[in-house]
This record gives sequence, C-alpha cells and structure tokens, in this order.
Amino acid sequence: MGDVDTDLIDIKGMEDANLSAFLRKNAISLTISEAKKIVELIGRNPSLTELHMFNIQWSEHSSYKSSRHILKMLPTKSSNVILGPIEDSGIVELGYIDGERYGIVVSHESHNHPSQVVPYEGAATGVGGIIRDVLCMGAKVIATADPLRFGNPYGENKNKARYIANEVINGIAGYGNAVGIPNLAGDIYFNESFDDNCLVNVVCLGILKEKDIIHSYAPKNAEGYDIIIVGKPTDNSGFGGAAFASLILDEEAKENNRGAVQVPDPFLKNVLIRATYKVFEEAKKKKIALGFKDMGAGGIMCSTSELCSDADYGAEINLDKVHVSMKNLLPFVILCSETQERFTWISPKEFTPTLLRIYNEDFALSTIAENARATVIGNVTKKQDYVVKHQGKVVCNVPIKAVTNGISYERQLKKPIRDFKEPQLKEPLNHDNYNNYYSYNKIALKILSHPNVASKQKCYKHYDRNVMGNTIIESGFADAGLIRAMPNSKYGIALSVDSNPRYCRINPYLGAVNAVAESMRNVAAIGAVPSALTDCLNYGNPEKPEQFYDFAEGVRGIKDAAENIYLRGTKEPVPVISGNVSLYNESSKGKAIDPSPVIACIGVMRDYEKAITIKIKKANSLLFLAGKRKDELGGSIYYEINKELGKNAPLIDFEEQRNIIYAVIECIENGLLLSCHDISDGGLLTAIAEMILGGNADGIIGAEIDLCFSNLRDDKTLFSESPGFVFEAEEKNTGKIKAVFKKYNLEITSLGITSANGFLLIKNKDKKIIDLPINKLREAWTSGFPDAIK
Amino acid sequence: MRLNNMKKPKIAVMYFPGNNCEEETRERCIEVGMEADIVRWNSKEDLSNYHGFIIPGGFSYEDRIRAGVIAAKEKIMESIRKEANNGKLLLGICNGAQVLVETGMIPGLSNKVEMALAPNTNPLVTGYYCAWINIKSIYKKTCAYNHLYDENEVIAMPIAHGEGRFVTKDKELAGKLIKNKQIVFRYCGNNGNIKDEFPINPNGSIYNIAAISNKEGNVMAIMPHPERASWQWQIPELKKGNGMASAIKVFESMKNYIEERMI
Repeated sequence: MGDVDTDLIDIKGMEDANLSAFLRKNAISLTISEAKKIVELIGRNPSLTELHMFNIQWSEHSSYKSSRHILKMLPTKSSNVILGPIEDSGIVELGYIDGERYGIVVSHESHNHPSQVVPYEGAATGVGGIIRDVLCMGAKVIATADPLRFGNPYGENKNKARYIANEVINGIAGYGNAVGIPNLAGDIYFNESFDDNCLVNVVCLGILKEKDIIHSYAPKNAEGYDIIIVGKPTDNSGFGGAAFASLILDEEAKENNRGAVQVPDPFLKNVLIRATYKVFEEAKKKKIALGFKDMGAGGIMCSTSELCSDADYGAEINLDKVHVSMKNLLPFVILCSETQERFTWISPKEFTPTLLRIYNEDFALSTIAENARATVIGNVTKKQDYVVKHQGKVVCNVPIKAVTNGISYERQLKKPIRDFKEPQLKEPLNHDNYNNYYSYNKIALKILSHPNVASKQKCYKHYDRNVMGNTIIESGFADAGLIRAMPNSKYGIALSVDSNPRYCRINPYLGAVNAVAESMRNVAAIGAVPSALTDCLNYGNPEKPEQFYDFAEGVRGIKDAAENIYLRGTKEPVPVISGNVSLYNESSKGKAIDPSPVIACIGVMRDYEKAITIKIKKANSLLFLAGKRKDELGGSIYYEINKELGKNAPLIDFEEQRNIIYAVIECIENGLLLSCHDISDGGLLTAIAEMILGGNADGIIGAEIDLCFSNLRDDKTLFSESPGFVFEAEEKNTGKIKAVFKKYNLEITSLGITSANGFLLIKNKDKKIIDLPINKLREAWTSGFPDAIK
Repeated sequence: MRLNNMKKPKIAVMYFPGNNCEEETRERCIEVGMEADIVRWNSKEDLSNYHGFIIPGGFSYEDRIRAGVIAAKEKIMESIRKEANNGKLLLGICNGAQVLVETGMIPGLSNKVEMALAPNTNPLVTGYYCAWINIKSIYKKTCAYNHLYDENEVIAMPIAHGEGRFVTKDKELAGKLIKNKQIVFRYCGNNGNIKDEFPINPNGSIYNIAAISNKEGNVMAIMPHPERASWQWQIPELKKGNGMASAIKVFESMKNYIEERMI
C-alpha cells in the first residue's frame, strides 16, 4: 500500500463515539462502519484528504450504493444503442447520413436539493452541469428540457412554493438563454408533496458522428499523457455537493448547506463550449485520441480518477498546479470542490500545446473570467494508484480502483399500506345550469385552469426556444418538442418528458409504467418513433424500507414498459440509455415526495416535414378517438378538483399501447392526420380543448362532439385519463386511417367534427352537456398557470 | 469601392464573448449564396476583405453594465466602424442591434448615442421574453436590408430579448427618422395592422419600431431574429415544408445590394 506524507486519522484506534464526533466535526457523512471499511480497503488509516475523498465517492449521489443492484434490471442494450448508461451520457442511433452513423447524445440529471436551498443558482447550475455531460462526449449540444415539480401554490406553503417556482424558471432561463442552447420540452406539476423538496430535473441532447465519440476514459497507450483541467479557477464552492445531494433537507441546516451549491457562470461556459468545439476540430484533423470528462460531483478527484481508472491506469496529480481563485485552500477542498464550468482532458504530450493555445490564447479564457484557463495538473501513470501531492507532500496514495469502485448496500424493502378508495361523485349538471358551480361547463373550465393542466406558455416564454435556428416544434405546441438534427438532412429529433406524481402516489409501479407509455405517446403524437428512454428517479429515503420499496417498484415499472412496448419493427426493448438517481427527497419531517420516475423519451423522425402539432387545422374535418375510455380516474385532475385521489390509476395494456403508438405514427407518416394530441392530464375534454386552442392559445376553430360511443357516465368519459389519442383528419382519409388501425387490431371511434362556429359543443345524443365559447376556454387555460405562480 | 476577383459577397459574422447566434446567422448567409466566416473579437484579421459584417444575437460580455455597451467599445468595433463609414454593410441583430445603438451608428444622425434599447414593457413576462411576432416592411429598397421586400410585406419572426424597446429623449428624433425613411421594420399584427399595444408591440418600442437603419442605408439594427425564421419549418404552425420563409429576404437583400454596388 502506498504511503502518504501527512498525518493519518486513527480510525482503527478511535472509540466509536469519538469517531462519530470527529466525522461530524469535519462534515463527513460516512457512517462509522463505512469509515472502518476504508481502513480495510486501503490497509492503513487514511489521511484527512483520503477520508474526504471516500466521503464523496461513497455518497449515494456518486456511488449509487443503494440503487445500483436494482438499476441492473433496466434494459440498456438494444440494437440502436451506441453507448449505454456507463459514461457521462448515453448515445442512441439517429440514422445513417451519407454512409456515416450519427448518434443522439442524451443525459438526464437532477438538481433538486440545490434548487430547494438556492433556487436560481441551483436550477442554473443544473443546466450548466448537464450541458457539460453531453459536450464531453465530443458532441454538439443542441437542446435542453426541464421537468419541474413544485409545492402546492394554493396550499399552506404557497408563498415559498411560488417563490421557488419563479426562481427556478428564472435560473433555467438565465443560464440556458445565455449559453444559447434552445429549451425544447418540459413539464410542470404542482402538489403539496413537493412543498419542502422541489424537483428540478434537466435533460440535454447532443449530436455527433459515431466515429467522433470522445470517451470518459483515457485512450489506449495513455501512459505519461497529460491530465489537463480547463475552465473556471477552483474555489471552495460546492465542496461536498455530492454528499449534500445525499442528505435529507433540514430547514435549519439550510444556511450551512448554501456553501454546497455551486456558482453558475453561463458567460464563461458560452466561450468554453466554443473553444471546446475547436479542440474537437483540431483533434479530428490531427487524428489525436483524447479522454474528456465533465467535472461535476467530486471535482478534480472524481474526474481524474475515473478517466484513468476506467482505462486501467493510475494518476498522479499535483494540486499546486491547479489554477485557483482563493488562497490557502486545503488540499481536499482543491481536490473535491465542485467549482462549476470545468472539464478534464487526457491529452498526449504532443497535442497539449495546441489544446492549451486554443483555450488560453485563441479564446483568451483569462480575459473572460479572472484566472480561468487550461492547465496541466498531472499525468497518467501505468501503476494503478491514485497519488495526489500538495506542497511537495503526498496527501493521497491509494489504489485507484479503491477510489472508483464504490460500495453497495442491499436495502430493505417493505410494501407500504396504500388504503385508497374510489370516491362516489355526483354527476355534474348539464349545460343549462351554466352558472351552477357543479355544472359541466364550470367543471370543464376548472380543469382547464388547474395549474397542472393549464398552458405553461408564460414559463416557456422566459426560455429561448429557437436559438441555434433548428427548432421545428416548440414547447407546448405539440406533445413533444422537435428539432432539426443537422443541416442538409431531414432527420428530426423529438423529445418529451413525463411522470404523473398522483398516479405514482396511488401505485408506484403503475405510475412508472404510465410515465414510460405517456412519454412514448407524446413522441408518437407528432409522428416521431420512440427510440430511447432516460430516467431520473426521484424518490425518498432509501434507508426507510417503505420508501425504498417505491423506488424498486418504479424501476420495475420502467423495465416492464420499456421491454413490452418494443422498438419499432423489433421485439427489442426501447432502451434506457442514461439516467440518474436522486434519493433522500424528503423533508426533515420525514415526509417523502410523491415517487417520481421522470422519464424522457427520445424520438427519431426520418422526415421532419411530416410532423404535426396538436392544433386543429380547419373547419369541417373529422375528430377521432383512439384508446377506449375506462372507469380509471384514480389520480385524475377531475378527482383532484373534487379533493379526491381515488384508487384506480390508468392501466396499461402493453400490446394495445404498442399497437396504438405505431398505428398513429404510421398514419402521420402517410400524411393522413391534420393534428393529433395524446390524452393525459384532464382526459378527453382537455385534449379536445387544447386542440382547439393550440400551443399559442390563438385557435379559432371549435368542435362539435357526441359522446354516444361511450358506455360510461358522461363525466367519466370526458375526464378519465385512460391512455389514448384524439386526432383530426379529412373525411376522405377515413378509410385509409381505419385500414392502418385495423392492421394493428385496433378500431377508432368517431368523436365529431371541427367547426367554424367558435364553440366547443359536447352532447350525448339529445342531451347537451357542454357549450363553451373558445374565448372562455382560452381564458381558463391561459390564466391557470400565471395565477398559480403570481 | 469594388473588390476585384471576388465572385461571392463575403460576410464576417462577429463573435464577441457571450454571443450565441453566430452559427445560424453564418448558415443563413451561406444559404443565400454568400460566403461567411465567424470572426472572433480578438482576431487580427484584415477586415477590409469583407463586404459586410453582422453582429449576431446573444449576451456579449454577459450584458454587463448595459446590453451591448462593452462590445461597442471593443477595439475591433473601431475597424468595423471604419469599414461601415466606407459603405460596407453592417447588420446588428438583437444583441448586435444593442451594440450598434451603443456605438451611436444607429440611428447615426450625429456623433452621439441618440437612442437606447430599454427594458421591455410587457404585461405577461418581466425581463427576457421569447415569442413569435410579426413585423412589416415599411418601404422597399430604402436600405440594404429591404431590397427584396415589398412595401407593407408582413414577416413572421421571433423576438428573444429583455431590452428591446427603442426609446429616445430627443422628441424630434422620431420625426427625423420617419422623414429619412430610417424606420425599416415595425411590429404589426398578422394582417399587417399596426397597433401600439401588447402583444402586437411586444416590448413597448416607440412607434412600434423593430428595426432602424442609418440614413445611408448600409447599417441596420434589428431586434427580431430573421435567422430563426428563414425557412418554413422554423415557423410554428406553418406547414412543415422545406421552402424559404420571408425573413430570409433580409440576407438575400444584403447579397443583392452588395452584388449591385460592390462586385
């Protein structure tokens, strides 16, 4: 075992109580048994630097110590996967263009705890971090998306919930707009389970040629290669961020945790991205193989050890060479701080001068941010040890695999009691009772203005959605965003995110299944083919068996849905290519958030000209329903406005989902549909109203609907969130559409017609149910969200 | 001022630290048949080789002090000003427009800064606002950027800015700009009606001004983004065809103008 030149912490000799006090005093969250395990692993007592290093590497955030064995269930290896979830981002095939295989790079992360503590910076650095994850694969970064969950804006903590929502939205905008990456998709849910713990997830897409991938490990024959860090000078910000992400948020400790949140600098990042593209270009020209990695959790320590360890090398780091912005930083702070806007390169010595020139001279980083630059801080060694020097002394010297292997736990699982009941609601009154609070008209408007249903345009208008000039369908105009993959090609990339917290509250397995199925339907509704999934698994405390059970059930749900809604034309799963686990999402009172397996679905479109939106295109066309309405309103908005949760969340029949998704895609590819919308929150009524209004809420064509097809009570037909689609088509195409659906053993139902009369009229045979002018729909749908975050 | 042996108009798309629309702006120049390079703020290149310059959108110098003010004082801007004074084209889009106003080149009636781009007034969103709007070409062929537009032609484009409201303290300035035909594009509704109310006027700009040229017509500052609205597929709810959309005529006009006068 290697020696160090500094004092060792006598873990072996300390009493448990003293050890515990020592760990607490040094802000180390390792348990006593974990601290002792370090001694076992390295064969001696550790130095303080080594102890801090293991503290971060063995945090839940970095080690996946609770979740790793459960995540193994997920399907990650279908034939379209270029790179599974093992490096900083996953890569799925886009297609072949001029004989070259192109990949879509995807990463999906959370920045939940930082956003709860300092929402603007927390959300901004979330965007910053995810962009680095995608860029460091050698990709051009092309889009981001933000699934957000906030506290109840009308509940007891409404002021805080609204404050956090506004600041998070501003933080996302402040960062993403400045670096210049378009925001393509996202969703927002509010409920009281997120009062003390908001969720700020972020997804990022990139594009590259398969042959240009730069891996997150050292290339072949890398012995003696330089280890270079580039970007912002290291400071103490974000020290212990990974460990912080793995703690429960305690209101009183919040002040102390602020230091664990990093400071965003999108201005520097804007320049860094462009300089990095130049490095890619030069390396390609000179045919140089490099290693490249984002510096996120664990800072220099994590990036340098993983880059070398994963290629079976060691590393020698000299902390005195690291460019810093503060004096007298302790060695473990320099080594592990999570200062933003930094990357690590592994570069052969002959390429190092070029790399340094691009950052330090061509893009003059030090004129952009004080003392920002690229610096050689060490080199790759054949001996597989991780050696760190500070002021001439060795402060860390351990086998590199001991640093990177992590630990794992098999946590206890216990099925929690979920004693939910279906409510017996009175049927609303028909249209004549317009002024009655319990009339269909009033309830329809109440649903449309519910913050979880209402238009999020006010939020999206803070985001730059069309920078880079590639955006084809912007957030809110369809169920998924769509972007041109690259110039001179008609490939489009679709992106949608989904997870319904209330379904997950009722049944964590079914909630996850629904999240996967809906994200795929969303992509299909514009005509894109679901190609890959990512998951950000936001759950409670893994040390509590009931909360960990929900996590395991969520993963099982994702696995079942991904494996049974096959990749088009195969029996392979839709692969999960990237993801993240965020545990300990509970308040200090021990209340966990609703289980939240947030799913992103990436879709590929061969010809983006075929894409359609949700907006009704013309009067006197026909509206159809695909997907039977069922009495499964558990978790629905209809129940929520009646202050009920219910018990029967929508069930997913995998074969039917598969068929309905591929039938809709085939119809769109054949140009048979004018518009199409997935049925989800708010049910059929909401889907039709949103089609009338369109993403910008400026629609003028109404609809006349007859519910005579349904055996359910009218409220259940209108408000059930059973999976399905509504679509608009010209009468002359009816036969062709029916033929496509028949091929998939499905039938479609005629709902009615679109009309120029300016109303949404709904009846069941002779019984009039709803008659609302479009401006009433508009008012409800566009005011709900601005009112909620005012 | 003919440049010999150059078949294609050649444009320098500038990159100041923090700009973020340089790639797509360059792409549009190339699509209409010009050559275009991205030129960094610290470049030592001889700028006289270019027929025109575009300062693209973004957040140069992170909008420190005021949007555009630091880039306006960069050394390279002096060289660009010299080229523009010789009749070369200079277009500022969004943040680039803010830079040109801060240099005083727009509206350029004196040697002073005569206007400002103030924070939007907008009842819906405070600060940065990204939305699709319509503008109208008021004239035809009064400057290098409306060469191919018809009078009153309506053009869809997005805006994406927090400070895009053209204002001035000089009460007579607007009158002079109208008289000189310097107000090239104005915000309007989708049928061309000009009303000074949100959302038709999305930022509260005086006289619904979306773009102003200098008196000579070779320099223009425009707040909306033509490079994001140049193809049908870029425009929301338009059939996703592959044809050009009317905003591309800003770039085509530049090409046309250069070819008529400089090559």
